[in-house]
Amino acid sequence: MIGSFVLLSITYGQSSNGLQNGVSTIFAPLQEGADRALKPARDLVNWFDETYDAKGENSRLKSELAKARTQAVAGQVALQENAQLRKLVELDNGPALAASAYKEVTGRVISRSPTPWHSTVVINLGSNDGVKVDDPVLSGAGLVGRVASAQASTSQVTLLTDHTSAVAAKVVPGGAQGVIKPDVGNPEDLILDFLDASKNVHVGQDVATSGWAVQGFSSLFPPNLPVGEVTEASIVEQEASQQVHLRPYADLRNLDILQVLTGGSRG
Amino acid sequence: MIVTPKILVRIVAIAILGVLLQLCFFSRVTLFHTSPDMLPALVVSLGLLGGSMTGAVSGFSIGLLIDCLLVEPLGASSLVLLSTGYLAGLFRERFEIHSSLVPPLLCMGLTLFAELGFALVQVLLGVDAPVSPMIVRDILLKSIFAFFIGWPIYLGIRRLLRPALVEETKVRRRKQPTVLGT
Repeated sequence: MIGSFVLLSITYGQSSNGLQNGVSTIFAPLQEGADRALKPARDLVNWFDETYDAKGENSRLKSELAKARTQAVAGQVALQENAQLRKLVELDNGPALAASAYKEVTGRVISRSPTPWHSTVVINLGSNDGVKVDDPVLSGAGLVGRVASAQASTSQVTLLTDHTSAVAAKVVPGGAQGVIKPDVGNPEDLILDFLDASKNVHVGQDVATSGWAVQGFSSLFPPNLPVGEVTEASIVEQEASQQVHLRPYADLRNLDILQVLTGGSRG
Repeated sequence: MIVTPKILVRIVAIAILGVLLQLCFFSRVTLFHTSPDMLPALVVSLGLLGGSMTGAVSGFSIGLLIDCLLVEPLGASSLVLLSTGYLAGLFRERFEIHSSLVPPLLCMGLTLFAELGFALVQVLLGVDAPVSPMIVRDILLKSIFAFFIGWPIYLGIRRLLRPALVEETKVRRRKQPTVLGT
């Protein structure tokens, strides 16, 4: 017991240490093998859970589809206008997107923390693949988190639902800015905190990273990475505590293939 | 439990296999929006079969291994699982296991204890975000899952460690046929 307290006192706050790096390197091939071998069994169990949820999900998706159709039409119009405006101001299509400066590296989740307190996953990409601490991590649906520590062949990713996570974000359209914080223990709910009370946010609006940069300091995430959709935005809550709730696009419970944005300039 | 080098190798193999199974399978499946946690059940089973010392040492080692693999502060999981294993071992030393329902019930109870322990350690270390009431549901569901996964885990480990179990040896000796006239 004393040993546990000593270890905890020494290592708390460190990103990783020699022992963890060594053990992770030795176990990485074993974890990867076990991950692949257990995938069919995992998919079977998750299939049961997903089938159980499918009924409620179906009606939600139908309403989302109807809304998305309307948005797609509006989006097409906006794209046309955007292309015309770009020609006018001679903007280059490429460098305008800060995220394009990043190189994407794709990997798999090989293990996950069993407690709801530490929402972390370990991926099979490490410093050998160019992954560095604080690199943004995405799934096919949106932002998932950031790299907390990178060993040679594995990295620990802190998810948006971890209690230490905080992401600068904006509501689109509208532009209200805030900080995304987790509601620890509930991976389907995030809180967009410190919102400007004068700008009203509505249910169904999208939330993306804001990617700020001020006097040499910058956000860890590039701008415009999709994060989630506003699900709860009562006027009372917005005025009293300047926060709204959102549902992350990425299914943070079932992560498999992830993409790390390496290199690039922050903000 | 008589811990010989051969039995020690088996316990180490069980611990490594358990940790891999937890990280690569149980942590990544969801049932009713919760992932089962088999590690407290594994430690409880080792404690029930080997006593308080075996339970505490295996709990500490499994916790340390999991903290290393997840790159989390070393000692947090060790502290909780050590206490869990010790309590399971203490139960074994103080009381007789009369019913086959005792191991899974203990797995359930001590998983609840372990999950509350993880929460306590986390609160003491500081939580930088609001905590959802869903976490209570998560802890309770993990304990219920432990009842169902604790049973096969206990039986499986008992089978693997049978040569080292004092009571099992006694039972086997008792069952040997008596040869008369020799």
